[in-house]
Amino acid sequence: MVGPLEQAILALMIFVIMLGMGASLTPRDFTLALKRPYGLMIGVVSQYGFMPLIGFILASTLPVSDPIKIGILIMACMPGGTTSNIFTYFSKGNLALSVLMTVTSTVFGVILIPIVLVVYAGALDLDIPRENIIATLVLLLVPVAIGMVLRKFNSNVGAVTEFMGSMLAIFFILFLIVSWIPRNWEFLLTTTWATYFGSVVLGLFGFVLGYGFSILLKLHPRNARTVALETGIQNGPLAIAIIAFTFAGTEAQAIMAVPVLYSLFIVITSTMVTLWFRRVNTANEQPLPNGLL
Amino acid sequence: MQDQERPWTAFYGPSVRKTIAAPQYRTIGDFISATADVYGDLPAFTACLPNGMNGTLTYRQADEMSDAMAVYLREVAGLNAGDRVAIQLPNGLSYPIAAMGIFKAGCVLVNINPLYTAEEMVKQFKDAEPKAIFIVDMFADKLAEAVKEFAIPTVIVTRVAEYLPAMPKAIVGLVQKYWDKTIHPITIPHIRLPEAVDAGRMSKKTLDKGLEAYRSMIDPDDVACLQYTGGTTGVSKGAMLTHTNILMNMEQTMELIPNLDKGKEVALTALPLYHIFAFTVNFLGFYSIGAHNILIPNPRPLSNLKRSFENYKITWMSGVNTLFNGLNGEVWFQDTPPKHLKFASAGGMALQSVVAERWEAVTGKSVLEGYGLTESSPVLTFNPFGKTRLNSIGVPLPSTDLKCVDEDGKDVPQGKPGELIAKGPQIMKGYWNKPEETAKTIQNGWLLTGDIGVMDEDGYFRVVDRKKDMILVSGFNVYPNEIEDVIAAHPGVEEVAVIGVPDGASGEAVKAFIVKRDETLNKDAVRAYCKEHLTAYKVPKTVEFREELPKSNVGKILRKDLRAEELSKAEG
Repeated sequence: MVGPLEQAILALMIFVIMLGMGASLTPRDFTLALKRPYGLMIGVVSQYGFMPLIGFILASTLPVSDPIKIGILIMACMPGGTTSNIFTYFSKGNLALSVLMTVTSTVFGVILIPIVLVVYAGALDLDIPRENIIATLVLLLVPVAIGMVLRKFNSNVGAVTEFMGSMLAIFFILFLIVSWIPRNWEFLLTTTWATYFGSVVLGLFGFVLGYGFSILLKLHPRNARTVALETGIQNGPLAIAIIAFTFAGTEAQAIMAVPVLYSLFIVITSTMVTLWFRRVNTANEQPLPNGLL
Repeated sequence: MQDQERPWTAFYGPSVRKTIAAPQYRTIGDFISATADVYGDLPAFTACLPNGMNGTLTYRQADEMSDAMAVYLREVAGLNAGDRVAIQLPNGLSYPIAAMGIFKAGCVLVNINPLYTAEEMVKQFKDAEPKAIFIVDMFADKLAEAVKEFAIPTVIVTRVAEYLPAMPKAIVGLVQKYWDKTIHPITIPHIRLPEAVDAGRMSKKTLDKGLEAYRSMIDPDDVACLQYTGGTTGVSKGAMLTHTNILMNMEQTMELIPNLDKGKEVALTALPLYHIFAFTVNFLGFYSIGAHNILIPNPRPLSNLKRSFENYKITWMSGVNTLFNGLNGEVWFQDTPPKHLKFASAGGMALQSVVAERWEAVTGKSVLEGYGLTESSPVLTFNPFGKTRLNSIGVPLPSTDLKCVDEDGKDVPQGKPGELIAKGPQIMKGYWNKPEETAKTIQNGWLLTGDIGVMDEDGYFRVVDRKKDMILVSGFNVYPNEIEDVIAAHPGVEEVAVIGVPDGASGEAVKAFIVKRDETLNKDAVRAYCKEHLTAYKVPKTVEFREELPKSNVGKILRKDLRAEELSKAEG
């Protein structure tokens, strides 16, 4: 389903995406995050509290095979994806908050993802190669660090890398649509409704819970929109990479169905949510000081 | 005026000259070349886009390219000394090349707001009659409309990312064209700016005389800029600012700013350079001390400035009240204010004391407020560093006289309000082709500012308000600035504008327009707050909440628009 060449391309893509994420950062972003632990906490709670829980509930209630269960769990435990920043931009959310949440959830993920995964997998009696996942995650921090250094060294190289990284996240989805779907048509037709359901609903529940949580905490509508998108949109390429690097053979192929389907459908659901956000919330939002200059 | 009549000179720093006899250079072109020789390979201008992509010109590069541009204008485009050349560009690397090229060619620069409509452009073209124009590709479609009414022989087109490295330039170009869709095909004959520079370079090789020949043909008292302004009477007109006017004003202003490390300062220019304040202080003033000038093409939204603050050690910035107010409210700015900032300078509109105080609380550095008009190139007063007074526009610059007079032009006693009138080497020659307007504005060598001011016993000035904005409530003078200052200090208020509206009982009544910061704010709370701080007749009779306030392109709140709305409502 995903051949060696595709795996190599995927690995490269992940590398560039992470590089781009690093290039969008300066040490002061971390200062900022630490100074405002409230926003950070909301992100971590929704990303590693709600999402894995949704994943667990889906995995334990849907009539799916073990590999699909693992797929749903892994997908649910992923940090925020870089595409969330693009959708946040279009839904007139808080772009700075979105970037910050994506980054912190990625960095914290190194510790939190294995913990959450092991706990839920244990509850479902599934076997997860914990060490491999940690190793992959740590490895991912390398390009992030390189990206930060690049930017420090040359702001133009940093800006171009960042741009390429975010473009590649979109390209990844195109890659799936153009290359993967036609060749796996058979697989898509034989996949059970429950797998589809799990892959689609995971993101949708994320949007709803993230939004509800923010409203409960009385966040500004802009920030609530941001948290909702950030929670629902997971890092699909990362999930595929982790699966490719930690599982083998047919098992890996079966597990991978979930992140692939998730990545395809999240574009559609995110677009719908974004359109809805734009319509519903622009009416009662506080205007930015756009008369300035 | 004698020294004893200029009490403010006591507040100048020890190194400050009390008078400046003449500018250091004959013309702006001479100043530009001589300064470039001093700072050579230091970075002069960096254009920084919202995503952090940037390009830089050194002093030497800017000098060489503007030389080529001057040759292009004179030899290839066939312009003569004194011909007007329009610039309609956002901040970017093209701006200094164009502006410096115009000065070196001995031509007259006409700044045009890039956001003008075709109709507004035509009006200004017909008045200034430019022979050439620099325009950014995004707005070339408006020019195509405008030249149908007034033909301009030479059109030089540039782009926002001009002279950025190839990769960022390509990305920005693609994004603008296919994503933002802001670039349209250009239908009129034109030349691209880099091609014009190249053509100028070629032509320069065959030149038998140096570039000095161009500027030796003009006098220091010849017009350098036609700077358009609504001015004190509302009709748009071109203030004729001479080389001496501008060079002197630059020197006078820089004289009052101490502790500058020549060749080491990093300045942030978020204000558009077509505005006279940014033009004289940011563009030329920063250049004169070898500063690295960070040019922001579009500071809207304010998050566009984030990358500049992250990537450059900004030591100095200038802005208007709206900009400082906006930055004060940005979370990223509050959390990581610029560490290297020495101070900020404000002009263009009244700086509200609450904004200045918040700024100081956030950054730990003060905002020095200055004051001036387009007609005075523009700076007349400035707060001396370390001796800043809140709510004051500071003291007059060296060689500048300022006083308050009554309706008959007689001096009012110190401490009493009167119209500010000014005299100095920075006062314009007059309005272009408008001798009657000139006669109304400059009388006996004094520039009538149309602002009501007060001088304290030390010679610090305060602007009470615009003469024509004054509200007459039952015979009492009410100054909108004072009321706006009080209301702006309310934590639930984002922005405020106060005007007078016709009122049967009191002649005029005070009305406040407010943009909320806190959604729960209501009218009664505003009025109650005003009652605590103001005498009864100054408290707004009516309060209206708005989503936003009408503003000019530099962020000045336009009370006149609000007044017009109210009047049409009253009539309708």
